[in-house]
Amino acid sequence: MKSSTKFNIIGLLFGAGFGFVLGAANLHEYTTIHNMLSLEEFDVFGLMGLAIGTSLPLLAIFERAKVKTVLAGTLSLSRSKVQKHHVVGGAIFGIGWAVSGTCPAPALVMLASGAGLAAVTIAGLFVGLGLRDAQTSRAAGGAVTQGDGEHRTTVGVGN
Amino acid sequence: MYGHFWPVLPFRYRQVASELGVLMDLLPDRLPWFIAGPLLGLLVVGFFLFTNQPLGATGAYAETSKAVRRVPGAVVWRVWYFVGIALGGFIAVSLKETGFDPRSGYDILTQSGEGNFGLSLPVAALVIFVGAVVMGYGARMSGGCTSGHGICGTAQRSPASWAAMMTFMASAVATTFIINQVV
Repeated sequence: MKSSTKFNIIGLLFGAGFGFVLGAANLHEYTTIHNMLSLEEFDVFGLMGLAIGTSLPLLAIFERAKVKTVLAGTLSLSRSKVQKHHVVGGAIFGIGWAVSGTCPAPALVMLASGAGLAAVTIAGLFVGLGLRDAQTSRAAGGAVTQGDGEHRTTVGVGN
Repeated sequence: MYGHFWPVLPFRYRQVASELGVLMDLLPDRLPWFIAGPLLGLLVVGFFLFTNQPLGATGAYAETSKAVRRVPGAVVWRVWYFVGIALGGFIAVSLKETGFDPRSGYDILTQSGEGNFGLSLPVAALVIFVGAVVMGYGARMSGGCTSGHGICGTAQRSPASWAAMMTFMASAVATTFIINQVV
């Protein structure tokens, strides 16, 4: 099987697993996020805390053990220094998150659960991303900022 | 018995399944956070062990956008990942009692009464759209969103992701506080 096909299958499966957990935990509901951000309900904070609490130590152990990943060489984690755009972007993101009551991945689950207005959210997300990309490419001739939470271009790997 | 019109079949699939004796109510209305959290953590670790990549959604939007616009160099598997999120979500809600439920999804905004915003549908759609544009712009500028920075970046012990997460949490809580004051 071609490496790109394997990547596609793994992408689909893990995307489905991620979407499944989001849907199962009701993170696709406006009220869940609104109650969380109104500090009325701490479930989602607990959920994120446990997700980090599970993955952080495991990744640290695997990193130290120089574990080989199945499709892309030795496990490498990225740890960027804090820059202005991380913080300013985060502050802007938080405003939009509070207004639209969903974040990028749950917005997809929201639409898939039958919520029609989520289509507006998803369209807006594409527009917002596009605006930022247009701005950065004007400023730096095609270079787009990448962060530790986004896709990264790894050297010598079939992705 | 299923309706004679095939387009309604997707919306009647639970009825069809129950008549065929397929078990559909496997999930509770809401999977408890202390189960969903570790599951999500294991997915993040598993994804790293396969692809050496963070399980973030912002990157999936960016690559899907590129693929749709036929920009060369789009990462196709991120598109599959994008589709997978919707598919997995659909499966999850299908296994609940409510099932796929055609609705606006923003009842708090569109309905009137105590605790609701009472906006008309076009105004609500505009508010949501503007919010989503702001969110997309911010996520791209920051280099990740709730999943990318908030879980995958923090789990990599990235200072940038921890800073981004604490900032967007604070900004979202502050914005929600203001929204709740106005309403």
